[in-house]
Amino acid sequence: MSPLFVFQLRRVARNRQFLFFTVLLPALFTVFFTQVFAGTPGGVSPEQAAATMVAMMSYGAIGAALGATVRLSFDRASGWLRQLRVTPVPQTSVVAVDVAVGMLLTLPPLVVVALTGRLVNGVRLAPGEWAGLVGVLWLGSAVFVALGLLLGWALEEKAAGGAIGIVGTVLAALGGLWVPVELFPSGLRAVAHGLPSYWYAETGRAAAGGTLPPVPAVAALVGFAAAFGVLAVLVARRRPLAAVAG
Amino acid sequence: MSAPTGDVPHYCRRGADQQARRVPPDALALTDLTVRHGDVLAVDSLDLHIARGETVALLGPNGAGKSTTVSAVLGLLHPDAGTVRVLGRAPSDAVRAGCVGAMLQHGGLPGEARVGEVLHLVRRSYGRAGLAGAWPLDDLVATSGIGGLLGRDVDALSGGQRQRVLLALALAGQPPLLLLDEPTSAMDVEGRRAFWTTMRDLAARGTTVVFATHHLEEADAVADRVVVMAGGRVVADGPSAAVRSAVAGRTVRFSAPDGGTFDRVPGVTGATRLGGTVALATTDVEATLRALLTDGVALTDLEVRGASLEDAVLSLTTPGVAR
Repeated sequence: MSPLFVFQLRRVARNRQFLFFTVLLPALFTVFFTQVFAGTPGGVSPEQAAATMVAMMSYGAIGAALGATVRLSFDRASGWLRQLRVTPVPQTSVVAVDVAVGMLLTLPPLVVVALTGRLVNGVRLAPGEWAGLVGVLWLGSAVFVALGLLLGWALEEKAAGGAIGIVGTVLAALGGLWVPVELFPSGLRAVAHGLPSYWYAETGRAAAGGTLPPVPAVAALVGFAAAFGVLAVLVARRRPLAAVAG
Repeated sequence: MSAPTGDVPHYCRRGADQQARRVPPDALALTDLTVRHGDVLAVDSLDLHIARGETVALLGPNGAGKSTTVSAVLGLLHPDAGTVRVLGRAPSDAVRAGCVGAMLQHGGLPGEARVGEVLHLVRRSYGRAGLAGAWPLDDLVATSGIGGLLGRDVDALSGGQRQRVLLALALAGQPPLLLLDEPTSAMDVEGRRAFWTTMRDLAARGTTVVFATHHLEEADAVADRVVVMAGGRVVADGPSAAVRSAVAGRTVRFSAPDGGTFDRVPGVTGATRLGGTVALATTDVEATLRALLTDGVALTDLEVRGASLEDAVLSLTTPGVAR
């Protein structure tokens, strides 16, 4: 493993708040939404329990992907990225490590929330469906890794932290991760269909149901990932790493 | 003690210019370097050659183009025109080969990390196959004065400590060329003295040291060559004594709150006023003072000084002040 990868991973792991918000909170939500509504008339069907779990896996993974990658903005502000540029560490590996760390950190929320769904809420899927669910959501999280890198390059340090909170909330709320899209008024449903988070959860719901992800969902995610990636590269190219004054 | 020497290590020669392989190249060769920041011409067809083993101070006011020049040398920006060769190769190649160590003006350390981890990461990057290998840790820690800081959180460092850690990162690969952009700006007097002692030791062992600074006394004390920049050009270049003597004459300073002009006083080559104080650059102190006394000027707080390096730089870099 590259020393830079280990170094970056250790820095994130040291951030307890990051672990709380991306791993523990989605797991708690999973329990809360399912167990609380289980007491209401009609209770919670196994399908609803599974849907809640998938939504919270998506929510946690999006938060982790955005939170891990936007840290780039802090490293820009501190001057660390400039400092790295004058060491033999190649620039390409700096970018590759950011992507790899973002991808790796989406796994803990996916696995922990899945375990919570299975052990606490009694969600039952075939082993292949579990693997498919985690696998599909893990691959799809690349979209939000790209979005996080874009925001990290585009925003100043002070704006980045807040922006991630707002972007994450908008993606979750309007993408139907907190309240199912079926309960949305039609106008809001159209908004949901314009967000990557909706299509992301859609691939997860399909995988949990034992089917392949629908083509429109995959197409939308590939499109978003490409757009965010290209924008991130364009913005990064415009960012000077040299001192302008003096 | 393992330390850099004046010889260019083999790993810094590989991939260098054809000519550079036959004749050992200059540490730095800037030819016709031009850099624009938007509409501002930051560096204006700069020619600068620095031989290996030299210790060179880049002096000049803010906006003179010092940091821009350093950035171009490190490959942090692409010049609009001209060429930069670092030990005979392109800047980014030289950096990747581990031939250059740098302290940047706005370089920084990562948060949520310990000093030892950062240092380990950078040392490892120099230790990859084909590179010289990192400076032995004990010696590096002692030389850069960061003993006791390795376990410290980066966020808990003082300004001076941060600078010393950045120095350790710059030295980690035993580079034959060191570039320092205002390295002592966050240091106290004692830290500064220790820093320059280290630099003199490195220079004595053959490391080429190029530093940009506002502190003229540092240039005077450390550099064997001073390059004064203004408006993106070199306005003076030579040993510090030679640069100082470029400004002949002395300065007569006194309080004159009531105004008055002194341009016509005999010997005076330039007059500047700062609040109630007038400073006259003169080639003939005696004639100037005699004329002032004859005119009945009250010479309150009179001061007569020879040109310091500061005066030299000021007169070289400020338009309108006579040389």
